Amino acid sequence: MGNFDDFKTRLKIAKSNLKKTDNDTSKEASFLGNAFKLGTELVAAVAVGTIIGFILDSWLGTTPWLIVIFFFVGAAAGMLNVIRTAKRMQK
Amino acid sequence: MATNPMHQFNVYRIGPEVKIAGIDISFTNSSLFMLLSAGAICIFLLLGTREKKLIPGKIQLVAEMFYNFIAKMISDTAGSKAKPYFPFIFSLFMFVLFCNMVGMFPYSFTVTSHIIVTLIMAMFIFVAVTIIGFIKHGFKYLKIFVPSGVPVLLLPLITVIEIISYLSRPVSLSVRLFANMMAGHTMLKVFGGFVISLGLLGGWLPLSFSVALTGLEILVAFLQAYVFAILTCIYLNDALNLHH
Repeated sequence: MGNFDDFKTRLKIAKSNLKKTDNDTSKEASFLGNAFKLGTELVAAVAVGTIIGFILDSWLGTTPWLIVIFFFVGAAAGMLNVIRTAKRMQK
Repeated sequence: MATNPMHQFNVYRIGPEVKIAGIDISFTNSSLFMLLSAGAICIFLLLGTREKKLIPGKIQLVAEMFYNFIAKMISDTAGSKAKPYFPFIFSLFMFVLFCNMVGMFPYSFTVTSHIIVTLIMAMFIFVAVTIIGFIKHGFKYLKIFVPSGVPVLLLPLITVIEIISYLSRPVSLSVRLFANMMAGHTMLKVFGGFVISLGLLGGWLPLSFSVALTGLEILVAFLQAYVFAILTCIYLNDALNLHH
């Protein structure tokens, strides 16, 4: 019986150790992952906004105006993306 | 030819040319390495689950680690509702990871360094998530474009911004993976070229850089697969649990 109790405590210690290391590695991975995420998040929205502006411009024949407007709207969307990602990181 | 750092990204045909309705669907080196990656995943997981021991062997341990890693990631980011999508996210993660890792072998081809491959995967995820959102919530899903508590005057502008933000998802998802893989492999090749051109006297410095970069690239290969999978989870979470 004493042997079994001994095994139980050892199992508990091993389990708690396992939890600790598990958390550490996944946290580190998510930090690095977030660092990679932020940059492209901003650029992609600007690119998509500009492309939409370009398509609408050639459609409606208002050449320089919509591309300028949508560039800034895209930049705003990019910042929104970055703020959302940053908020998720803080959780 | 061999010193051109972009030469490694050439796609060429293996075997006969196959054309169906004017579309070239010949077997290329890209398809070959996709098949190799998929085959490696199958062999690895079959070996890992062949003997289901209580005390796992080496391969079984690694296979179980991957399983736990993805299962934990899905439950952390998308909640219990996302459990039915585990097979899809697991295969996605494993495929991207193995394509990246197979690309780390010298003389091999990195499938994920081509934007067409990553864009197709990202577009598939984007379309699938949108369809899942509409199935789960009907037309209420459109509410993610209209955040609550916004003055009526600003609403059209905010909606346009939200739509662009939503449309930028597949672009950022695909460009991130493609750009990281391509930049890394080009850099490795450039430093490799420096080793050759500087010769025995000066080649040691770029060689040591090359060794360090190889380590970095293996880290990036894993991280990009991880980011790809976790972003899929986040998008899935937005579609499953509507909270705007």
